[in-house]
Amino acid sequence: MNKNEHINKLIDEALSSLDGAERATPKPYLFTRLNARMQKEPENSWDNVLKFISRPAIALAGLCLVITINAMVVSSNYSGQTTTAADEQYVSADEYNTSVAVLSDIENIEP
Amino acid sequence: MNQQELIVQLQQGDGQAFKKLVDEWQNMVYNTALGIVQNADDADDITQDVFIQVYQSVSSFKGESKFSTWLYRIVITKSLDHLKKKKRKKRFGFMQSLFGNNSDEEIHPEEFNHPGVLMENKERAAELFKALQQLPDKQRIAFTLHRLEAQRHQDIATVMELSVTAVESLIARAKGNLRQILKDYYEKNVA
Repeated sequence: MNKNEHINKLIDEALSSLDGAERATPKPYLFTRLNARMQKEPENSWDNVLKFISRPAIALAGLCLVITINAMVVSSNYSGQTTTAADEQYVSADEYNTSVAVLSDIENIEP
Repeated sequence: MNQQELIVQLQQGDGQAFKKLVDEWQNMVYNTALGIVQNADDADDITQDVFIQVYQSVSSFKGESKFSTWLYRIVITKSLDHLKKKKRKKRFGFMQSLFGNNSDEEIHPEEFNHPGVLMENKERAAELFKALQQLPDKQRIAFTLHRLEAQRHQDIATVMELSVTAVESLIARAKGNLRQILKDYYEKNVA
């Protein structure tokens, strides 16, 4: 018998290997186990919440959300800081009187 | 007590009727689930899930189809859901380990030996079951119901809500695909 014939024989054997197969039966006392499971107290709602949060898709989405919020807060703070720095410049210029004098100041110089 | 009376009693919340129903149908439910998920513990869990759902939703069973058809649909849906969940877990296995969820659930399938298969066919059947995993869901379901549950094409068509011709075509395609998968396997593994 050549290799191809042998392979075809194996394929036929595999395809007919379920001939005469009997139904598999579950482990004993299925009804007792079923009853125990049905009578088991329902899970605490916090358990469900934790289970939901720990699902990879939810956890990943949460992580992305936190990173996005962080990035938004940092970028808004950065642009806010530049405004504050400019404001501070004006304030300090005012305090030390280093600002450019206007014409009216020059004209009203006391003798 | 015939089946219809049993269902009516179950709909009235009779615990004894539920026990009778479980005793009567547990092998069919378990064997179908086992053929699809190919894992004894998973099939046992699915069997319990199926009967819990039957108990909870038997009031919605109107008797328009046969009870066995309704039951097969629940088993198939639960089994496919289970496989999807398992695939998802495998995909996110790395992420799960990061979150400390070290579930003991088996993710990598071992060789499956169906306990009802004749001893002399065990080895070939294990290869067939391995090949079955590569089939599309519909082909796998049709083939499993036909070969493991010895269901007629007409009954499979009712369960799967397809025409008899469609079921015949599914089974033919399943056999063709299995033949090809097995051929590739034996070409690599037979000296």
